Amino acid sequence: MATVVNTAKLSARLATRYAPRHSARRRLHISSRQRAAQNYTMPALSPTMTEGNIAAWRVKEGDSYTAGDVILEIETDKATMDVEAQDDGKLFKITQQDGAKGVKVGARIAVMAEEGDDLSSMEMPSEATSEAASSAPPSPPKEEKKPASDRKTSSPVPEKEAESTGGSSEISTGVSEPSHMTKPYAESPPSSTASSSAKKRNYTFPLFPAVQQLLHEHGVSASDTAKIPTTGPNGRLLKGDVLAYFGQISKDYPSALSDRITKLEHLDTRHTMAAKPTQPAQAAAAAPEMQVPVETEIAVPISLSAVIATQKRVNDTLGIFLPLSTFIARASELANESLPARKRVSPTADELFDSVLGLDKISSPKLSRGNFSPQITGIDTMPPMPARKAKKADIIDLLTKKGVRSQVGVGRREVAAALGVSAGDNVFSVLARGGEEERGRRYLERLKMALEREPGRLVL
Amino acid sequence: MADVRTEEKDLVIIGGGVAGYVAAIKAGQEGLKVTCIEKRGSLGGTCLNVGCIPSKSLLENSRIYHQINHDVKNRGIDVGDVKLNLPQMMKAKETSVSGLTKGIEFLFKKNGVEYIKGAGRFEDQNTVAVDLNDGGSTAVRGKNILIATGSEVTPFPGLEIDETKVVSSNGAIALKEVPKKMLVIGGGIIGLEMGSVWSRLGAEVTIVEFLGAIGGPGMDAEVAKNIQKTLGKQGMKFMLNTKVMSGDPSGQGVKLEVEAAKGGKAQTLEADVVLVAIGRRPYTQGLGLDKIGLETDSKGRIVIDSEYRTKIPHIRVIGDCTFGPMLAHKAEEEGVAAVEYLTKNYGHVNYNAIPAVMYTHPEVAWVGQNEQELKEQGVKYKVGTFPFTANSRAKTNLDTDGMVKFLADAETDRILGVHIVGPNAGEMIAEGTLALEYGASTEDVGRTSHAHPTLSEAFKEAAMATYSKAIHF
Repeated sequence: MATVVNTAKLSARLATRYAPRHSARRRLHISSRQRAAQNYTMPALSPTMTEGNIAAWRVKEGDSYTAGDVILEIETDKATMDVEAQDDGKLFKITQQDGAKGVKVGARIAVMAEEGDDLSSMEMPSEATSEAASSAPPSPPKEEKKPASDRKTSSPVPEKEAESTGGSSEISTGVSEPSHMTKPYAESPPSSTASSSAKKRNYTFPLFPAVQQLLHEHGVSASDTAKIPTTGPNGRLLKGDVLAYFGQISKDYPSALSDRITKLEHLDTRHTMAAKPTQPAQAAAAAPEMQVPVETEIAVPISLSAVIATQKRVNDTLGIFLPLSTFIARASELANESLPARKRVSPTADELFDSVLGLDKISSPKLSRGNFSPQITGIDTMPPMPARKAKKADIIDLLTKKGVRSQVGVGRREVAAALGVSAGDNVFSVLARGGEEERGRRYLERLKMALEREPGRLVL
Repeated sequence: MADVRTEEKDLVIIGGGVAGYVAAIKAGQEGLKVTCIEKRGSLGGTCLNVGCIPSKSLLENSRIYHQINHDVKNRGIDVGDVKLNLPQMMKAKETSVSGLTKGIEFLFKKNGVEYIKGAGRFEDQNTVAVDLNDGGSTAVRGKNILIATGSEVTPFPGLEIDETKVVSSNGAIALKEVPKKMLVIGGGIIGLEMGSVWSRLGAEVTIVEFLGAIGGPGMDAEVAKNIQKTLGKQGMKFMLNTKVMSGDPSGQGVKLEVEAAKGGKAQTLEADVVLVAIGRRPYTQGLGLDKIGLETDSKGRIVIDSEYRTKIPHIRVIGDCTFGPMLAHKAEEEGVAAVEYLTKNYGHVNYNAIPAVMYTHPEVAWVGQNEQELKEQGVKYKVGTFPFTANSRAKTNLDTDGMVKFLADAETDRILGVHIVGPNAGEMIAEGTLALEYGASTEDVGRTSHAHPTLSEAFKEAAMATYSKAIHF
């Protein structure tokens, strides 16, 4: 209930903000009694409820009720439920009589007044929410919620205000729980609605202080608050949601963050089954400390003569011309399969711990698919190149944590692309990031094997 | 095989530790017919009997002793001759422990939980045979079975634990006299807590840690440095990046051969007592998992799904013997959740909002992610800190070591982690956990009133420092 009080307060404050604009009207509506009349709308008794039937009014027009009294019975497609009053009040006018069918959630069903109000001089408020009922969710009845002092401030703008406060508790999805409804709901609802009660409570939590602050700073009306998409746990409206709504941060960011955090919330049951002992993992051998992933170029000369011979043979016998790139792409795919795991720059605490206990010796070496693709330089006579470090990282690279690429390498590759490949030896090279040298080397070995030994198997 | 009891229970729980006993009580409250099997002879498991509880007793009492010896003079209290009565201190510990374990037995009775003292092992998928502590055996059948057998101390390869000279945490809470020199292998939470106890009581304590920081992998690096400095001032010594190669307990004391973790000069350390505190491992020995075809992973954890089910769906596993951090309160959450999965089809545990606490002085507590993890994941974050030296209550208490540190998302200000080193950090982290559970931003915490003068104001100010500026620093 605190929620509704809270939102009511929020709207009251917002009302104060807008009050001066309505000063002309204030003079026209001066009686506080008249202003106390409030629309009472069809409550949503479950998140899926869109309309309901009035089974029976248990309070007559002009009668007073106290908190906890059953005001009426509502029939939904699932069950008939009592609706209790949360606060004291008086039933001014019933607008949807007993037996009314298919009343939309949010449509006015009665008008309520405060205890002690003079009903004879009271004006009927306009049915502010009824036209919106089909599209928008109901406004929670608020007359009993507002402390008297708050009502004074909000009262000068009766109808407009009724609209804007109406939305304050319905956040985002158009399911709202009017203040009166929580009791029957929480106590012993029929099972069909019970299951959804947790979800329903989403829309009745108090706003976080930072959210309230931002909304006030930007003068957001309560009805606009309802439009802000939420990403918090159980649909809570978070500060980030409001910032995104104002365009201060990227619109998609809060939900991306939420997804990341949701992953952390679940027990990590990923596991590696004990496997038969094989070669010891290299985790224990601490790699040299390297802040920036430096890329090393590894090159191997590979002769394409076998490939070209195969290409010719296929062309001669089957009449199909297979471009060299097809051979190389298939060989590359083959060579990328299950490469040894990347040697990480620094082993994780788990790996270190396992190595202390000697567990690393019994788990299988980690294999994973690589994503290398070769750079080809068609120079027949190029001697096999030793692995060499690419350009050293300068301070800017260090600060921006960018990997270092060899400028020279890039230039040479462009030349290679222009030259094409030669029929004899070509230099195939890959850029391996720190710790991936072994993977790169293994990849090239396999590539060489596939292209030089039996290139025919790549395409047949 | 002995007689099988005719009555089939709704739930049979193997293990009466924190996971098991909480699940048993919860199941009793939910109206299930439940049996809990425990072989220790007293309930509460490692936590109550030889873990959290007895160590907290020793930590509190040793801290008072230490404070009387070193601190009260400044506060205007002159004390005469101060003497340690170790047997009495141990007795105080035992009184606390037995009071609490008896309390659980009472709660079992109150909630209609049947308690069998004995060792359970699987006979088949629905039957657990129990070798009773008093001799003889029995067997219970259950529609559902919950495995909550916990964990045991991980032994150090090549150094046998005798619990007198080479001790585990079990022996470290029951030493007969204060050792002159103590070596602790492992600078995690257990090592630092027990190291603190004996250091306060007069031992010369050296922590030997393989990694480059103390506190274990979850602790924020800045916090770890901070607490290391403070503990150093209290007299503890640290050897980080140091690998223990071997140990020799044959002489008068114990000798340890150590060398730099990255390879380097070796040296020999000597001590009267060596505490092995390199961690704990799942304990499923004698349970007969193979008999029903259940598997463990390479770390000995029983394989489960997200609802704690094994591949035999009516057998579930919770606590230390499966995945997740080995923390009593995590096990407790799982105990409730596992029963609620049975009775309500859903149980809530948020693994991102499980606090961790180290009960040294000052305490260290954290929840959520630390700075290293955020960096590794490439998350953009903001940091806000507030030192206890600027907190009024800490100042009046003459207890100003430490700080509160918030990590929040750089864009949305959503809290990603809270790290505290300071007096009462363990209590204060509850607020951070709640904030995380609610998805709060630091501004939400900063705009919430905190009583004055309290330590918790430092918490609020650190939050303010994250999204804006702290007032008092």
